[in-house]
Amino acid sequence: MDRRAFVKAGCIGSASLLMPGLDPMRRADVPPPAAPPIEVHGLPDYKPSPLGMPGLFPGRVIEVRDPNAIVRNRVSQSIVRQMLEHAMKELTEEKSAQAAWAKLVEPNDIVGIKINPSGAPACCSSPEILREIIGSVQSVGVPARNILVYDRYSYEMDIGSYQALLPPGVRIVGIQDGFVDSSGYDTNVYCAANFFGEWETRSYMANIVAQLVTKIINVPTMKDHSASGVTGCLKNLAYGTFNNVARSHRAPHSFTNPLIGLMCTVEPLRSKAVLHIMDGMRQVWHGGPLTQVQDFIDQAGILLVATDPVALDTIELEAIEEKRRERGAPSLWQHDPNSITTDNNDFYHDAAKNLFFRQPGHVAAAGKLGLGVADLKQIDHRTLSA
Amino acid sequence: MTTEAAKSKAPGDWPTLLKDNARTGGQGQHPVRSPERAVWQFRTGSSVRSAPILEDGILYVTSVNGVLHALDVVTGTSKWKFQAGGRVHSTPSLSENRILFGCDDGRVYALDRHAGSKLWEVPTGAEVWTSPVVRSGIVFFGGADARVYAVDAASGRTLWVEQLGGRVYSTIYAAEQQLYLGCGDGKVYCLDPSSGKTMWSTPTGNGIDSSPAQAGDLLLIGSEDFWFYAMNTTTGEVRWKYETGLGIASSPAVSGDLAVIGSKDGFLYALDTHSGRLRWKAAVGEVVTAPPVIGDGVVCIQAGGTFALDSATGKVVWRAALAGAVQSVPVLAGDAIYLASLSGEVYALR
Repeated sequence: MDRRAFVKAGCIGSASLLMPGLDPMRRADVPPPAAPPIEVHGLPDYKPSPLGMPGLFPGRVIEVRDPNAIVRNRVSQSIVRQMLEHAMKELTEEKSAQAAWAKLVEPNDIVGIKINPSGAPACCSSPEILREIIGSVQSVGVPARNILVYDRYSYEMDIGSYQALLPPGVRIVGIQDGFVDSSGYDTNVYCAANFFGEWETRSYMANIVAQLVTKIINVPTMKDHSASGVTGCLKNLAYGTFNNVARSHRAPHSFTNPLIGLMCTVEPLRSKAVLHIMDGMRQVWHGGPLTQVQDFIDQAGILLVATDPVALDTIELEAIEEKRRERGAPSLWQHDPNSITTDNNDFYHDAAKNLFFRQPGHVAAAGKLGLGVADLKQIDHRTLSA
Repeated sequence: MTTEAAKSKAPGDWPTLLKDNARTGGQGQHPVRSPERAVWQFRTGSSVRSAPILEDGILYVTSVNGVLHALDVVTGTSKWKFQAGGRVHSTPSLSENRILFGCDDGRVYALDRHAGSKLWEVPTGAEVWTSPVVRSGIVFFGGADARVYAVDAASGRTLWVEQLGGRVYSTIYAAEQQLYLGCGDGKVYCLDPSSGKTMWSTPTGNGIDSSPAQAGDLLLIGSEDFWFYAMNTTTGEVRWKYETGLGIASSPAVSGDLAVIGSKDGFLYALDTHSGRLRWKAAVGEVVTAPPVIGDGVVCIQAGGTFALDSATGKVVWRAALAGAVQSVPVLAGDAIYLASLSGEVYALR
């Protein structure tokens, strides 16, 4: 049983019958359905923050590369420390790392660090990078008890062993224990749309985002995604904050575009997400988001930092496209019905196969919503070596 | 120091993680046959991250929603349940008439195992995911507050507290004169059970989620640095180590000179305890984080489903497409096997 099947058998059970978006067997023999209207309900009377997306530095992306940052699949704590410091100083044009962080985080903040454990253990937010982020947040005066490392699914965080590996005092929070646990969500903040006739048409925002944290540092990984093309800053925030999101794709169609961008505009998520640090230690160029197949995971040693999630995801998309070209895999933009498979095993072991028609256009669509800069010519992409 | 605590009284009893304080669930030879059918199934109503334990015909299971369930093993029906003050990830353990478990509310609870009523609770500084271990009337456990606690089993009075350098998610192995555990700071610690003072510590290359086992004069434990270590129990010196493909959150099972450990790379590794030489490795899923147990000629493990492998060759003897788990362990009780799944089901197979 592979991990996708494990998740389905172990966690969803009969719930999959109630969530048509999870049905991988349904093939589209008809033209793709039109995107339905999506209703957005943010937190009432929330005052937007100027630090919110695209943040203090629209269009600026800092990329730091060090081939020694990951060796034999182990991430170097000391090298990622240097990479992060270097990137933060360059992003903010401050002389010290502490001053750089102080532009984004204040001592009285409750800081949520949104990780991506969904590919654990093969590709997930590295504990080594998280330790450096936590130390940096503490350096500006935020106590450990006011730092929360979180994601939606507890069991994925457990597989990543984050509970054991992060510093004492920091809270490690899984928003939900199973696929159908909705207790951790705010029913006043939601996106509503009927994509495929599903019975529950709302996706609610996590309480932790709506009510608890005051700032979010987003730590996505660098991965392709079978439905959305890539999973980067936008996807990690949107589908890691709202529940009931798998319904947006029913093989082979996906409404990740425009849902991902729209979710990121919902307050207070938009205002609270002030910094995006993409963990590109490992770069998944096929099989994302859950693959464990090492053949499609490069040990790239990259760290990308921005306040603008659209600009950063645009750079990520280019990088994954380039890698796929190098390896002879079809473009993420390809919509060839012959590439679609319903067999997970085919998908996980053949880079020419996919489960959905990918939607990498979700990044540019988010740009049109004002979340950042999607035009490569306008992106201030600075590449540094550590 | 005597060793009366957490001994199994009847062959089928399984009163603590991996059967008893010596972790003989991983060291003894318990008969296990290929199950033919599920006798009953119980739904806890929440995920189960811990392992069940068994005594006197009662199976005790904690579920993540904070409930300790006491189930009749014949019928699979609830005899009683107790709601704790937070989520529960800790495997319970039994000591005399008490059942003990840790909770995310930072407390360790002791209940009357017959009635389910609370006897005492002891506060700590953060969540407790480890399984409390009882030896000579003292309960030992570590927590996310980076501390190790010794508590009087009868009264719940704290005897000593020792601060370590990282979170503790590794269940203590309590030997007669030493306590062994791994720590989030990457070190393996040996503590004096009378004072909590560090007798030795040995660093590994990353944090430790795995719980140790002892094989003669060797302490065996995995690390998130991908290595499986064998250390001298007296000095902490590394005798040998074996590299797997990813981090190790699983805990070792030992039988004679055979040690078996799971890795997040999806393989079970069977190693010679004397030399660290690989005897076999077998794929049992894409990720393995739970501890294996060794039965009569088989190794059982819960990963994406439940597997039994020939302990001599690693070949799959039988498999059941149920009870996928992150940290749960099958209870091998003679003619029955009890399993708890991540999705919250408890099964009795015969």
